Amino acid sequence: MVLDLILYIIAYPPLWQVLILGFAGSLAIAMVAIWFERKAAARVQRRIGPYWASPALGGFLNIIADMVRYVLQQLIIPGTVDRLVFYFAPIAAFTISILPVIFIPLSPKPEFWPVATMDYSLLIALALSTLPPLLVIAAGWSSNNKFAVIGSMRESYVITAYELVAVVSILSASASLLTFNLVYIVEAQQPFKWLAILNPIAFLAAILAVLMSTSAFPFEIPESEHEVVAGPFTEYSGALYAFNMGGAYVRRFVYALLIALVFLGGWAPYVPGPGPITGYIIPSLIVVFKAVIVVLFISFLRAVYGRYRLDQALGAAWRLAIPLAIIGFGWSLFLAYIGVFH
Amino acid sequence: MPPKVSLKKLARKGGLFDGVKSNIHALAIGVKYLVDPQRSTLLYPKEYIEHRPGYRGFIVFVKEKCISCAACSRICPSAAMKMVRVTEIDPKHPDKPRQKQYPVINYQRCIFCGFCVDVCPTEALYHVPFHDIVYENLADMFMTLEQFQVEPQRPAVSEGLPVVYEVDEGKGLVKRRRG
Repeated sequence: MVLDLILYIIAYPPLWQVLILGFAGSLAIAMVAIWFERKAAARVQRRIGPYWASPALGGFLNIIADMVRYVLQQLIIPGTVDRLVFYFAPIAAFTISILPVIFIPLSPKPEFWPVATMDYSLLIALALSTLPPLLVIAAGWSSNNKFAVIGSMRESYVITAYELVAVVSILSASASLLTFNLVYIVEAQQPFKWLAILNPIAFLAAILAVLMSTSAFPFEIPESEHEVVAGPFTEYSGALYAFNMGGAYVRRFVYALLIALVFLGGWAPYVPGPGPITGYIIPSLIVVFKAVIVVLFISFLRAVYGRYRLDQALGAAWRLAIPLAIIGFGWSLFLAYIGVFH
Repeated sequence: MPPKVSLKKLARKGGLFDGVKSNIHALAIGVKYLVDPQRSTLLYPKEYIEHRPGYRGFIVFVKEKCISCAACSRICPSAAMKMVRVTEIDPKHPDKPRQKQYPVINYQRCIFCGFCVDVCPTEALYHVPFHDIVYENLADMFMTLEQFQVEPQRPAVSEGLPVVYEVDEGKGLVKRRRG
């Protein structure tokens, strides 16, 4: 009886997908991304990077030690902060960053979906993934610190410019396929009609938008160390800071999953068969692999590009990225007109 | 009346094509170094730099050659070298002791300029080609006359391999392993 209930709770698909893919998976992928970011930047800059913690693993244990340090660090709450928002904002931002995972199908079989229907999944996932920046702004505002306020103001500017690009460029897929259903979007791209090949402009705009709106390293304009101490997270320490920092990586991973499904064809060259192995595990591994490639590419860009000023980033958004996204949207309308997918 | 402010308009360099080209160029350089990294970091305890002869490292004193002229302690720009007076047995007249002055060094002050070695008329001081020795407390850095005559041992030699840095035409500074 009780065992059945526990089994039912454990095997409950939304919980399973949130806990395994959303929490544990994105945590592991964030660690790999941080490690790769440091290691790739070191290779390009003729250094070695993390090494002595575990020379055989290329210093990977260094990242785990960093995480343990964050978790065990003393949590300092300044007396002047707005306590409720100060506690609530990073935790809620992290949680909401994971939530879009529920609406991301990793298999065409309905029995492996975390929700009953996937009809508006792209729209809902995109809408949920644009929410956490608001909580980041709230975190900065509640800190009662000038650097935090400046940082959250910058965050609001960058988000206003680049979320638009992200949403328009990712939604260009539904313009050419006439659906918001991620499963249909992936199945229409079988086997190699990937939207990244057919519509590279929207793909480029989406990568650019993810890079900017999740403040990937060289473009971390809101929390740039040189100008504002840690941006909205200046007053945070310990585990709450880890939530803040992890939230950005989780958002990047979720965006990468969406890009892998929408532009890189999801599980596309593979046709899932029956049963949990061929029906769920192999296609989900393919999707996660593509998403990890996107995340690692974004991490690699740290080594190549310098940091942009706020005005340069906003100029690039309104002058370059939004026209790119609109051109990509128009191109996908053209794809729908000439009937590539039908 | 304040001067009139006028904004100078600068022509934008390059167009969209140049921007795309330079971005792709930057990415290509990044990928090239990612695939074939030309690292120059010294993995210190596992490797150590083998310096060329003439490197100004720690200084060793040869008592037999010293004529007690005190030129070294006079030329020392940071006053690291001092003369100490010791009573010793004269080899020519074993029955009566004599007083003589010898240099000692304080490595807290020494800047490894090598003036003392250069100025010594009888070559009683010489350099060893390294200065990576750690002292556990500051008092250890005052050399007594006996310690000053002992050639110090380099700790990295027992653990690591010698490397040399060379300037390569294409790659810049490169690290080569000896042997």
